[in-house]
Amino acid sequence: MELAKVEKLLESYFEGNTDLNQENALRSYFAAEEVPPHLAVYKPMFEGFQMAAMESTEKEFSLPKKETRSRFWTYGIAATFAVMAGLAGFMFSQQGLTQEEEEALAAFKQTKEMMFLLSENLNKGTESMVHIDEFTKGTSNIALINQFTETKNRILK
Amino acid sequence: MKQSEFLAIVLPFKDKLYRLAKRLLVSSEEAEDAVQEVFLKLWNSREKIGDYKNPEAFAVTMTKNYCLDRLKSKQASNLKIVHSNYQNGDNVQRTVEANDGVQLVFKIMQTLPEKQRIVLQLRDVEQFDYDEIAEMMGSNETAVRVTLSRARKAVREQLIKQYNYGVS
Repeated sequence: MELAKVEKLLESYFEGNTDLNQENALRSYFAAEEVPPHLAVYKPMFEGFQMAAMESTEKEFSLPKKETRSRFWTYGIAATFAVMAGLAGFMFSQQGLTQEEEEALAAFKQTKEMMFLLSENLNKGTESMVHIDEFTKGTSNIALINQFTETKNRILK
Repeated sequence: MKQSEFLAIVLPFKDKLYRLAKRLLVSSEEAEDAVQEVFLKLWNSREKIGDYKNPEAFAVTMTKNYCLDRLKSKQASNLKIVHSNYQNGDNVQRTVEANDGVQLVFKIMQTLPEKQRIVLQLRDVEQFDYDEIAEMMGSNETAVRVTLSRARKAVREQLIKQYNYGVS
């Protein structure tokens, strides 16, 4: 590259007006061994940029393993919700009765009434049992009559 | 997105992120930590990475912001940046031999304001286009060119100063 062109390029380089191609031309110019003394000061600058671009790191960068943690976290939330839902359901069922339960309760009441009725009638039945006692008395009285007849027969003999 | 797909997108610009982080944080370990952190953040937002038309620019922006935050919190806690990557100025042999000159350039870059350092790194080291740099910096091309011009001139000025000092 001609010296005049290099100087012109350098000028626009320092004004921030060069494109990447022009900058590459400058870089390769200053990478060459022979540079006029008045431009020697720019040599380390362009060489430095090129060297800086070669730096790299050997470090292995790690990423979280298969998002295990975040999934467990979701399970936790899900479990909490399940427990909460269970508890809430239990509480609500304590407060109001479900239709099924109401039906069952009605049936229970009905049965209870029936039982009362039955036992009432049964009591009536047991009341009439008192008459049986009297019947027994009656029969024992008949036994007395038998004795009376026996004694009477003896006397008559 | 699987890890392998993600890594195929992200690994090609690993070293670019590392170099930018090192330019800002100076220490290699801290730069590696920064890249690891940026990778984790990218991984966590991996569903979005496909939406960005330029994942690399997105990653660079993330790295830049992360490093600037680190520097800010360091300043806040009054910690001096301790590093051993570059030679102390007094030990630099003031010859015009290429390697020493390059070391000097690195050292000079370290003295630039952060924004100039980032733009110089992105343009003259990584060779990004102006519009990409503007996107990464959340700025516009004109502003990028101005910052770049200032950074280049600052390096030149320092170099000439050291050069003259070394020669005379």
